[in-house]
Amino acid sequence: MDQTTMIMALVPIIIIQLALMIFALVDLVKNPSPNGPKWMWGIIIVVINILGPILYFVIGRKNY
Amino acid sequence: MKQFFMLLKKEQLENIRNYKIYWIPAIFILLGILEPTTNYFLPQIIESSGGLPEGAVLEIPTPTPEQMLAAIVEQFQTIGIAVLILAYMGTIAGERKSGTATLLYVRPLSFRAYFLSKWTMASVISLVSVWLGFLAGYYYTYLFFGEVELIKVLQMMGTYSVWVLFIMALLLVASAISPNSGFAAAIAFSTYLLIQLTDGLFGLNWTFSPGKIPQYGLEWLIGAPDSSGLWGAIGIAVLLILLLFAIGSWAAQRNKAKTKV
Repeated sequence: MDQTTMIMALVPIIIIQLALMIFALVDLVKNPSPNGPKWMWGIIIVVINILGPILYFVIGRKNY
Repeated sequence: MKQFFMLLKKEQLENIRNYKIYWIPAIFILLGILEPTTNYFLPQIIESSGGLPEGAVLEIPTPTPEQMLAAIVEQFQTIGIAVLILAYMGTIAGERKSGTATLLYVRPLSFRAYFLSKWTMASVISLVSVWLGFLAGYYYTYLFFGEVELIKVLQMMGTYSVWVLFIMALLLVASAISPNSGFAAAIAFSTYLLIQLTDGLFGLNWTFSPGKIPQYGLEWLIGAPDSSGLWGAIGIAVLLILLLFAIGSWAAQRNKAKTKV
């Protein structure tokens, strides 16, 4: 396998991670009262890979 | 039956509104992709982290595609199930707390339809996620390590699906009997670990144990599992799921007074 196919193979991983992060951030901005300070959730979502957005969706959203 | 479909629609709307319909599949696809990829790039990862002393020789055997798929199942069994439990721990318990339940319980509600609608929606989303994860993982395994026959992978996925359905039934019962969602997650997770532990410790000859279903699924890759054991285990899992339905609807009805307004 040559270099380009290898890099192409890695693209979906980055796309999914970015999509999760952006999804969570957009929801955080729109959320009037998240479970905890907004800036804290912002840091968690951006800094912690994969797990950050999940944590936000599971415990950060108050209605659940 | 009419009530069931109405409640199912409500569940669907809820799952769209809290984005579960998007992020759970994304997590599973990521889990499926990451396992073969990190294994393929393991030498480069070790090199770039600089953990080895000068002159050390490290022989990493290339895993076979079958081993890679087994590793993906392993990931789903730990992280995947944990994600599902976290995502659906509040299905009934959290609803009681948030007050949505009040709006439902004041109506003449069939608790069987209520429980079944929740289980159906949660199972559909989890199954689709697991399948997408396996297919993504299968494609990457094919890309990096070589081919496995698709039919074998499909058989493995089908067998594993029964296990997922069983776990979802278990989780929803835990959610129905516990006062809050954290408690539900604790009950579901400890039961899940207990099933695996007892099966691992004493279950050598328990060919019908539902805890063996993931293992039977993997045996499809290298041949065929013992068919009487496989169907026995699936049969017992289905019976247990039906029993869990009964317990779940009963517990949901019994705990309806715990709703907060």
